[in-house]
Amino acid sequence: MTNYGMVIDQERCIGCHSCAVACKDENNVSMGQAWNRILTTGGENIDTPAGEYPVDGGDGTLSMQYQPTACQHCENAPCVKVCPVNATYTREDGIVEIDYDKCMGCRYCMAACPYNARVFNYDKPETTAPKGTGNVEQRERGVVEKCTFCSHRLDEGLDPACTIACPSSARIFGDLDDPDSAVSRYVKQYETTQLLEDLETDPNTYYIRGEMSPGRNHLGNEMESELDEPPKRRNAEPGVPATDGGEEQ
Amino acid sequence: MSKRDGVTRRSVLLSAGAAAGVLGIGGSNVLQSLSDDSEINDVERFLQENTVVHGYCSPNCRGHCPLDIHVRDGQIRKVEPAIPDREEFRRACTLGQTHLHRTYNPNRLKYPMKRSDWSPENPNPQGRGPDAEFERIEWSEALDYVAGEMDRIREEYSPESVYFELGSGGSGINGTVYSRLANLFGGTMMSWSIDINVGLGFRRITGAGYFNTPTNMRTDIKNADTILIWGGNVFRSRLNPDARFLLDAIEGGTKIVGIDPVYNQTTAKSDLWLPVKPGKDIHLVMGMIHTVLEEDLEDTEFLRERTLAPALVRTDTGALLKTGDVFPDGDDETPVAYDADAGQAVALEPETYGEYALRGTFEFGGHEVRTALTELEETASDYAPEDIEETIGVDADNVRQAVRWLATRGPGGVMTGLGVDRYVYGHVFGQAYAILLALTGDYGRSGCVTGGRFAGSGYRSDYGAVEGSPGTRRMQQKGILSALQGDADPPLKMMYTQSSNFVANQLPDRQQWIDSLSNLDLVAVADIHHTPTVQHADIVLPASHWTEREDITGAGEHPHAMYREPVHDPLWESKSDHWMIAELADRLGYGEHFERDRTTLLRKILEGEDRFTFEEIREKGTIHLETDEIIFTDEFNTPSGRLEIYDEDAPSEKGVSLELPVPLEDRTADDHELADEYPLLFMQGHSKWRIHSQWAENPMMREINPEPRIDINPQDAKERGIEDGEYVRVYNDRGEMIVKAKYNDAYRPGHVNTDQGWWGEHYIAGHHNNLTHTDVSETIENFAFYDTRVEIEPAPEDLDTSKYDDPTETDWIDQLQHGGDTA
Ligand code: SF4
Ligand code: SF4
Ligand code: SF4
Repeated sequence: MTNYGMVIDQERCIGCHSCAVACKDENNVSMGQAWNRILTTGGENIDTPAGEYPVDGGDGTLSMQYQPTACQHCENAPCVKVCPVNATYTREDGIVEIDYDKCMGCRYCMAACPYNARVFNYDKPETTAPKGTGNVEQRERGVVEKCTFCSHRLDEGLDPACTIACPSSARIFGDLDDPDSAVSRYVKQYETTQLLEDLETDPNTYYIRGEMSPGRNHLGNEMESELDEPPKRRNAEPGVPATDGGEEQ
Repeated sequence: MSKRDGVTRRSVLLSAGAAAGVLGIGGSNVLQSLSDDSEINDVERFLQENTVVHGYCSPNCRGHCPLDIHVRDGQIRKVEPAIPDREEFRRACTLGQTHLHRTYNPNRLKYPMKRSDWSPENPNPQGRGPDAEFERIEWSEALDYVAGEMDRIREEYSPESVYFELGSGGSGINGTVYSRLANLFGGTMMSWSIDINVGLGFRRITGAGYFNTPTNMRTDIKNADTILIWGGNVFRSRLNPDARFLLDAIEGGTKIVGIDPVYNQTTAKSDLWLPVKPGKDIHLVMGMIHTVLEEDLEDTEFLRERTLAPALVRTDTGALLKTGDVFPDGDDETPVAYDADAGQAVALEPETYGEYALRGTFEFGGHEVRTALTELEETASDYAPEDIEETIGVDADNVRQAVRWLATRGPGGVMTGLGVDRYVYGHVFGQAYAILLALTGDYGRSGCVTGGRFAGSGYRSDYGAVEGSPGTRRMQQKGILSALQGDADPPLKMMYTQSSNFVANQLPDRQQWIDSLSNLDLVAVADIHHTPTVQHADIVLPASHWTEREDITGAGEHPHAMYREPVHDPLWESKSDHWMIAELADRLGYGEHFERDRTTLLRKILEGEDRFTFEEIREKGTIHLETDEIIFTDEFNTPSGRLEIYDEDAPSEKGVSLELPVPLEDRTADDHELADEYPLLFMQGHSKWRIHSQWAENPMMREINPEPRIDINPQDAKERGIEDGEYVRVYNDRGEMIVKAKYNDAYRPGHVNTDQGWWGEHYIAGHHNNLTHTDVSETIENFAFYDTRVEIEPAPEDLDTSKYDDPTETDWIDQLQHGGDTA
């Protein structure tokens, strides 16, 4: 079985929003809407830290991180449970998707989703380019939409658009059921958390915080499983701790 | 029901173009503005064209990122970072991935235009500016006007009275062709007065550096053991498109010391942050130099072999002792050292090791002399970290810690941003840190980091000025201002600007520049978008977007040459700059020197290139060019061939001679005469939402970053009765701006910031460059944007802020992310 998931290394993320912008264009998302948002973990405002400036000259305690947030593709998805017409459903490969033909716009799922991952088309979507953007048909007004893990790209053996766009290689995508995949190894090896774990939604999106990972192999657009020779990382063996690197990586 | 019911998407989209509407340029709905002229320029005519074409991005971030432009039905649908010839250099930042939104932007210039009240007979300069109205004219008319005025002014005044202003808004061949015309014509061109401060200071020591300071290729960053990232939020600017190079180093154990007055995404990833006070960077380097020498951490072998540390300095004149002072057959150029083994004075040749004394006082040829290192040690002795703690605002132990890492962990160095450049005496910082790295031996090896401009390459070409051209009169930008004001012989009487939004937006003390235009009979501006400078034009020349031009460029900071293929013909009536220049050249009688066919021209430009052919680059998009990954491996390009840690030809500033670095300050000085009235230091950082003033019109960016703000420490704000998110008036003795306050603990009390690049019409009132000034140092005419003082107060009550806070206009902004808006 395949169970797609994503690891986002917050130690690598620089808060650039490339993934958010690429997501919008790839998925023909209307201006004014966003499937993928880069939140600042820190102060009240975007790009501000928590804490106070160290006027004593020390290193201080200010802290700031970025938390890219889109649909978490929960295994135990509240949105799926509340949809009265089964428009929102979990695919066999773990992706939570919406059948736009069935969606009647009741927005129960939006209320149910604890991650604020869904948006509703109150009006006809509009984009800067006259014929729309990206590789997905525009959704009609009156339906709910959200991140699909770029399932249309996965069909072509390509990683999601956000994953390709990230200049920090902070996004790693793959099959959580394959113990040798990068996502599986990273979940095992690094300190990862799922958002709002206590709600028991069991997201397929994991965040690395603590020790930085080596990130995604960025030399191609293919999913790791599509590569003839999957990239050899310094921690090629599951469970083997990262070394100090070197040429061979 | 949601509160959004009743807000139609149309009004939301209209609001996305609200700023454009305010400017009076119309076309706030892109869909309409595209279809209005469907008969000739709608992208419909490219239907069925499905392809991926080679592109690259080329603003003045110097990134030159290779892009894959995905086209369906003849229209750009998506832009992705392309995988170049040398794959590991795949790169692109957020901006480069949004060219779709720049290409199909309502703010694009669509037709040649003339300011309605301008004519050659009656130029009406006072009609320029925000209220200027334009009328559409034919290309032939527009070009006749420009060429006609060039001719007239050349006759009436001088060819040098025509100012050819080439900005940094688009790399490719356009600059080459433009300069060719300027040289034939004999006009005036500018030399930069921006970002050359630290580079030129560094150059005095190392023989290299101009725009910023050179360093090894990015691929080598991972081999550094310690990097001091100084005066630059590199994850927001120069290492944004390929952050992985530095991240991989961090992951592999490189120690990072962030040296910045501001806490940001780079200092957040540092092992140690030194929160230096604005303008105290030179003091801090001196403290580090002192620490190295006091703790005996210097690399003595390197100092003896590759620097002037052992050179003997005459105590009477301050000049270096030369072989001619000591030996009968000596000269007056070669410095002298004391060879302790041989017990005698010897000539100090480049790249030569000897048991030279590094410290001490001696006597030769009747002169008392001391080693340069001893001189340095004495100068630095006033700056023990403990003694300057108060001044620089950095804990002394942390300064020493940073130095120990740098000096003892292995190769490393200083990665510079452009922050320190923007203080009046930034060049002394370049001198000082070049010396620090000489002491730690961080030149010429893998893992050394000597600056912020990473090694890369370009194509070879013999195509440039036409032989026998009269050439141009060159003036630095500061001098251009005087010439625009009429204070030059001959004065400037017209300007023809390409790829530049300088005069009305990007230069310090902006009002002076705008006022100076009143002396010009014609301002002709060629640009892609309707910038503030376009709004000050008499003749507007619409340029095609990068995605619509066939072009080539060198990568500069990565080892490639790149090719770009047009996605479709230029939209509306826009044309390539090359076409405009060739048309002008025809009218001016230089037509024979300008190739009309673009592809033929590109081939010609590449004739001098023997490493690849035009066919190859056209097919592959990028060509990897073998380039040295490690720099400074050979004799230094200095008079002595060594790192001149003692610079005997030093300039003076404020009466202080700078053989060795001395901390100097202008407005940042605590006792500056303006400090009481304007207690806040005002910087204007480079943001991740724009490259200079480009992308300011991009709706994709404006959704996330809708309007200018001023970052202010909550303590400073509260003292002034200012709430978070409230409009404030920022002012000084030159001007003002009205922006929203943004509480931000990343800023030291007393230090505020508004990101640069915003256009005049994006402000409720004023402009950040109404606050900056044109004072420069005696040595280097480099504008010191950050060396600025301001005061802040709540904005006046009666302000019209509907541009941003009319609920129907900003609904779309509310829907988007806000910091701290966690799930
Ligand atoms: S994040 Fe929200 S939308 Fe996505 S699966 Fe979970 S509950 Fe559903
Ligand atoms: S593209 Fe990568 S680095 Fe940038 S915000 Fe997204 S996850 Fe973070
Ligand atoms: S703006 Fe971004 S994508 Fe464009 S060249 Fe610069 S770094 Fe690269």
